Amino acid sequence: MSSNSKASARAQKAAEMRAAQNKREARRRILTIAGVLGVMVLIVGGSIGVSLLNKEDVKAAGAGSSEYGVTIGESDAPHSVVIYEDFLCPYCGQLERATRKDLARLAADGKVFVEYRPFDLLSSIADYPIRATNAFAVVLEKSGPDVAKKFHDLLYENQPSEQDPGSMTDDDLVKLAVEAGATEGDVRADIEGLAQQAWVDKATQEAADSGVKSTPTILLDGKVFQDGRTIQDMADNLMAELE
Amino acid sequence: MRETGRPLLAWVGLAARLVTGIVWIVAGGLKITQPDASINAVRAYQLLPSSVAEVVGIALPATELVVGLALVLGVFTRGAAVMSAVLFAAFIVGISSVWARGIEIDCGCFGGGGTKAGAASAYPWEIARDTALLAASLLVASLRRTRLSLDSLLFATRPAERAATEGAMT
Repeated sequence: MSSNSKASARAQKAAEMRAAQNKREARRRILTIAGVLGVMVLIVGGSIGVSLLNKEDVKAAGAGSSEYGVTIGESDAPHSVVIYEDFLCPYCGQLERATRKDLARLAADGKVFVEYRPFDLLSSIADYPIRATNAFAVVLEKSGPDVAKKFHDLLYENQPSEQDPGSMTDDDLVKLAVEAGATEGDVRADIEGLAQQAWVDKATQEAADSGVKSTPTILLDGKVFQDGRTIQDMADNLMAELE
Repeated sequence: MRETGRPLLAWVGLAARLVTGIVWIVAGGLKITQPDASINAVRAYQLLPSSVAEVVGIALPATELVVGLALVLGVFTRGAAVMSAVLFAAFIVGISSVWARGIEIDCGCFGGGGTKAGAASAYPWEIARDTALLAASLLVASLRRTRLSLDSLLFATRPAERAATEGAMT
């Protein structure tokens, strides 16, 4: 055997080894990529799983069955709507402007039974949500649901901004209550003295127990309704469901 | 390991990876256990239809966490950095959009979210912060290798280096 062919055999062997080495290398690379991707998928999947487990659905009492609200319409209407709201929340004000007349008309036509449930969500900003909800409860107790609904409407028509909730004084609340139909002597002391603070706390607790975390929260036939990009979209879509 | 040929830049890349990565881990981690708040935060931007907002509200925190972990560990570094840059760009667009429309919301960047009075004053700072983090992400994406990355262990190609790293791993 010539040294020449020995050398070429060695070269061939070396080339084979290199090829095998490259193959192992490529295989290892693919396995590594697959492994890392697998771990990533597991983390994403696990995180989504944790999120879904922590998700709480709103399970609120049906319209008309809460002690902390006012209803319009008849309870045997084909649809029911529950609206959780805070008197300071600007989107609640928008929703009121976008839906009040239509809801009142549909309720009068027997198409929907609506319950408004005010509670205190935003008292971290100012005490206005507590004062206003207290005033609402006072009017509800002293003057009945019809006057309370009117008072509720007036509170939104005269809603103060989140920047300056103090612009609505207790005296203003009394004036609006009287405008809604309450007797000043009945309500003034209780509005000024927060006589229904316990009612406000219980209404707020009930909203929290129902899983309501933001306002406005709308339930259509017991299910959260949030179909729409903006409040106006939501209002339009809600009316379309009810018509 | 002299992969970049520019050692200083490789260290800067490591710093950028750690900063952006930790931001993502914190941002995602805080939201994963608060899905309702997260969905609410997405919805507050009033950009997405409701059902899409729900999916994004659940999927985004998980994505943030995994992008953050990938950046901190330095695994699939460039892909993670590109993803990170895309997310920051999306947030900048989102915040600019609510700012332009006069909507005042908590950006929901680190949990929370929803309407917030006087939030507009925070928008310039939030956009500045996200722009800085976007720049850091792009820097990482532009570097072939950064310091102390798992990628250099997993995908070392030079045989000598591979032998060394495998030795180190076992």
